[in-house]
Amino acid sequence: MIAFDGVRYAYPNTEALIDNLSFTIGKGEFVSIIGENGAGKTTVSKLIDGLLKPSAGTVTVAGLNTAEVKTSAIARHVGFLFQDPDRQICKNTVREEIAFSLVLQGMEQAEIDRRVSRIVESFGFDGGKDPFTLGRGERQRVALASIIVAEPEIMILDEPTTGLDYRECIQVMDFIQALNDQGVTVVMVCHDMEVVLDFARRVLVLSGGTLIADGDTRAVFRDQAAMKRASILPPQIIQVAQRLGGAFADAAYAREMVAAVLTGRAAK
Amino acid sequence: MISIDELTFRYDGGADDVLRSITLHIERGGFVGVIGPSGAGKSTLLCAMNGIIPHHFKGDYYGAVTVDGKDTFDVSLTDLSLTVGTVFQDVESQLINAVVEDELYYGLENFSVPKAEADRRVADVLSQIGIESLRRRAVSSLSGGQKQKVAIAAVLALRPQILLLDEPTGELDPVSSRQIFALLKTLNEEHGITVVIVEQKIMLLSEFARELAVIDKGQLKYHGPVREVLTHSAELERMGVNCPRVVTLSNALRDAGIDIDRLSLNVDEAEAMMKAVLE
Repeated sequence: MIAFDGVRYAYPNTEALIDNLSFTIGKGEFVSIIGENGAGKTTVSKLIDGLLKPSAGTVTVAGLNTAEVKTSAIARHVGFLFQDPDRQICKNTVREEIAFSLVLQGMEQAEIDRRVSRIVESFGFDGGKDPFTLGRGERQRVALASIIVAEPEIMILDEPTTGLDYRECIQVMDFIQALNDQGVTVVMVCHDMEVVLDFARRVLVLSGGTLIADGDTRAVFRDQAAMKRASILPPQIIQVAQRLGGAFADAAYAREMVAAVLTGRAAK
Repeated sequence: MISIDELTFRYDGGADDVLRSITLHIERGGFVGVIGPSGAGKSTLLCAMNGIIPHHFKGDYYGAVTVDGKDTFDVSLTDLSLTVGTVFQDVESQLINAVVEDELYYGLENFSVPKAEADRRVADVLSQIGIESLRRRAVSSLSGGQKQKVAIAAVLALRPQILLLDEPTGELDPVSSRQIFALLKTLNEEHGITVVIVEQKIMLLSEFARELAVIDKGQLKYHGPVREVLTHSAELERMGVNCPRVVTLSNALRDAGIDIDRLSLNVDEAEAMMKAVLE
């Protein structure tokens, strides 16, 4: 679905932001990209959706070499949710905002109406409202809805939970999880390691523009050398579990820790 | 230091009260985290502490807020800003000068602080915050964390006794967020500055703040030492406030009938708690 092969990217007259980066992401995966600010996470996500073209190497997305096709051709396959919803919201009503990408694609009005109505209903929006009168969490959900309506095969999420409270975060993430369950490939840049643990099944760790770890979410969080190098604090329970070791070494959640305590007591 | 008594507030033209009968006392030298779901009234509460309410935002106002013994109604916004410094949610709109140094002198010049004194204070805050190397940098070239530090430094140059911050780490990565909290801890412990911070990152609040105030639907639901407030984790989660996972672990152990002395607030405490449980 997504393939990076020896990819390098540098802005003109600067050192490479990412260098010799190779990985593939298959259809239906839920992958998170983590790393410090400046590690290259956003650059990678922009290379996937064709906003940036590699300086060397190739990026293939949904069978398209991103250097050879227009960004709009890639946009038919890839939806991009920005960190700040106000960067993408531009219309006067929620309905118009959600319909906008379909109008740009030249879709028939009847089909647009059908899709928009379905999304407005499933999100529980008031379609006539001005998006800018909504709270931050609601605006983020409008931005998400306006991407989902185009039914992309791949979704890129850049910090989807920034500025949201806990409940809004769960709402947005549950929706993304449901899309992933239906086969949509999800690539998420995220700073909240608890959210990464709860939702991503695979994690790529970037540091200084290179890939320093790639694997199953829990396994990557237990890779202490990689975590240290990328200045990442793993989720709290994983840290505690690693310090305790033994029967606790695999735990990532409170319930798993408690179960290990009770099993140990029963064995005595 | 800050005394809020029975405060109820509704913005002009607003349909509902945004703050409802809030009574909250913050001691001199306190470090208080304010948490609650979006739209709970947290930012409005900060505006009532720094005088933006009632001086700038008007509305129906009942009750009283005193800062350092003075009713905010009786003191001008300008005078209040010498006691209460505020770092707003949107740091980009707070920084208005092109160069870091100019930003730091800006407030001092507005208050006609003599040049020699202003020079001394700018040098002081640069070293206090650890940003001497940024002195001549263009603000536009700074990272989010660096901008946040400059905004804090500019406020501190006025030598406020109280620092109010509205989600200062919202846009920052975990490393920079932690640096900002560590900085606030130093300002609080070594310089005696009272810190009140609105923040969604409960993990950082529980590690750095000493008290939590939980606001929901305009009301103060809980206020007290962090450990005490977090014992109400089930109620907090119903409200839309999550708890650090080590707190969830502490509560889960208790629910399973396993004795623990107290809730753990960080990984070190949780490790010690688990070792005690296993003995």
